[in-house]
Amino acid sequence: MILHPVDTILSLVLLSVLFTFGASRLPGLIKVIAFQGVVVSMVPLFIGHDMAAGGVVFTLATLCIRGIIIPMSIYFAIKKVAIKREVEPIVGFHASILCGLGLIVAATYTSRQLNIPSISDFTLLFPTAIALLVAGMFLLIARRNAIAMVLGYIMMENGIYLVGTTISVRARHIVEFGILLDVLAGVMIMAIILQNIKRTFDDVDTANLRNLKE
Amino acid sequence: MVEIVFLTPFIIGIIAFFLPKAVARQVLVGTGAIHLCLSLLLWKNRPEAIFKSYFAVTPEGLLSLLVISLLFFLISIYTVAYLEESDLQHENIFTGSMILFLSTMTMVTLSDHIMVMWIAIEATTLASAPLIYTHRSAASLEATWKYVLICSVGIAMALLGSVLITLSMDIGHVDAPLSFSALTQVAKTMDPMWLKAGFVFILVGYGTKMGLAPMHTWLPDAHSEAPSPASALLSGVLLNCAYLGIFKTNKIMHAAGLNDFSGTILIAFGLMSILAAATFILKQNEYKRMLAYSSIENMGIIAVGTGIGGIAAYGAMICMIHHSLIKSSLFLSSGNILLGYGDRFIKNTGNMVTRMPKTFVAFFAGFAGISGFPPFGIFIGELFIIVGAFKTGHYIAAGIFILSLCVIFAGFANQVMKISFDDSDPDITIALKEKASMVWPQYILLLTSLILCFYMPDTLYQTIIDAVTAIGGGLK
Repeated sequence: MILHPVDTILSLVLLSVLFTFGASRLPGLIKVIAFQGVVVSMVPLFIGHDMAAGGVVFTLATLCIRGIIIPMSIYFAIKKVAIKREVEPIVGFHASILCGLGLIVAATYTSRQLNIPSISDFTLLFPTAIALLVAGMFLLIARRNAIAMVLGYIMMENGIYLVGTTISVRARHIVEFGILLDVLAGVMIMAIILQNIKRTFDDVDTANLRNLKE
Repeated sequence: MVEIVFLTPFIIGIIAFFLPKAVARQVLVGTGAIHLCLSLLLWKNRPEAIFKSYFAVTPEGLLSLLVISLLFFLISIYTVAYLEESDLQHENIFTGSMILFLSTMTMVTLSDHIMVMWIAIEATTLASAPLIYTHRSAASLEATWKYVLICSVGIAMALLGSVLITLSMDIGHVDAPLSFSALTQVAKTMDPMWLKAGFVFILVGYGTKMGLAPMHTWLPDAHSEAPSPASALLSGVLLNCAYLGIFKTNKIMHAAGLNDFSGTILIAFGLMSILAAATFILKQNEYKRMLAYSSIENMGIIAVGTGIGGIAAYGAMICMIHHSLIKSSLFLSSGNILLGYGDRFIKNTGNMVTRMPKTFVAFFAGFAGISGFPPFGIFIGELFIIVGAFKTGHYIAAGIFILSLCVIFAGFANQVMKISFDDSDPDITIALKEKASMVWPQYILLLTSLILCFYMPDTLYQTIIDAVTAIGGGLK
């Protein structure tokens, strides 16, 4: 079986999922997410749909924002606010990595069952998208550090971007535009809240945010 | 010229961030008045949009738009008085965000394109986040964080659902624009499996924003921590906007002949929400959280009604309109209680009937209305839903529905009695003079609900029927 370039790229994304599960410190986690952002936004260039010059420019802009601007702003945000750089796991790192492996197997198995004609050439595309989505949610649940949670959210959006831009040619730009807007604005607002959490509680551990119940 | 309705508040909102306090307050009311006029014009003329593929005037959108407009105008009058009484540090951010929030919600009601709808709903989250954080306390920070994070994840699910719907078009070889109205026409040719999957994701996504259990956890926090005028907007109209997303997708499902599938899921989520509200409302010790749980209950009722279809779908529409009117009046009254007693806990209030008689009238009438007592509209809506449930053979659902309503009424009544008549602490002093502009908005909201029960203008009736016919509803 000859690997399509898209699959080669995507195998890197799958590896990065395992890295995020094993990352114990925030700067490392941010770098992995930045790498993931770059790689995921490159996929549409290789997928072989017809692409006008405008489309290429748009994809490159997405790449800049996902791969550089967002990770950089988070990186500087933690430089400014967080003293503790640990991600404070609820589920331990080894268990997380094992979960990650199980997740990738399950994602591959599931996508075999769902036969989607438009992307049947790319073996890894759908498994990677599912893996990114679920892995993002896993980080949201299994890490107490608020910044790690934001990174989990970005990872989830990466997964949706992968599905949204490749599965259907229709309305691709508006999907891209929407996701971009979402991530950009969402992350900015989250960054502002993070700074305030830090100022109020002197920490970004979400265990502090347990007062409102029921 | 449909777009003017949301572009006007958008521009004014941005300007309002930089205006002096006193001017910004006047601008708030002015925007409300202009918006109400524009909405009425839109209702009357029903023009076509400039960007036809993205925006359209639909009956269900018009209903929500008119409710939003009326509520915002009345709430803005209240807000001016509220701002004078309370001392907010960053008042401009509050007023500016309120107007931007209005703009984004208007955009939701007018959008016809699946992705534009999604962008607009996401924008409502972003515009309302600063409103919840107005008090800058640790609790409001926690509420904002939960709100932004949970709703963003939810909305991401809805995006995935929208993408899956485009996939179902591709597999069915459908060539149509990605708008709700176009898709409803070609729904039969779309691939049913992916359409179902898309609907489930959209329901979970927008359901998070609508406050359906078990994704409702952000709602009580956000609604109780926001300043009361903002809570009234969040509860009265934002939830309807999210419901609109589900309603329009349900239209596609109905046109594709998959309404049994979508109906069952809607009923399940609806009943879960009503049950969750019944469980938690019993032990609430803060009045605003109690109102928030009642919102979850009412959203559940609307989902159940939509799911059952037929006469119940009509009932759900009635419930939606009256819930907005009554619940926002209750939240405004709760603002008076908070300013008067200076405390958010029920145990530190009491004997409102003599201490704040005008607010008492509004609060108690609102309580009667929201619990489904005649002569308020929710009674009619709930009655239609129960009749519809029996007619279509949903006996178990109807049973759970009625039982939960009774439990919620008992819990609600218990707390309201304490606030209104309990006189165990005679030392409480009231720090608020009940100004006309702090009670009349509530009275008008309740009166509107009352009048709509006895006299519904033909154009309103026709619009509701037009809206619910598309999901198989009607008075038959």
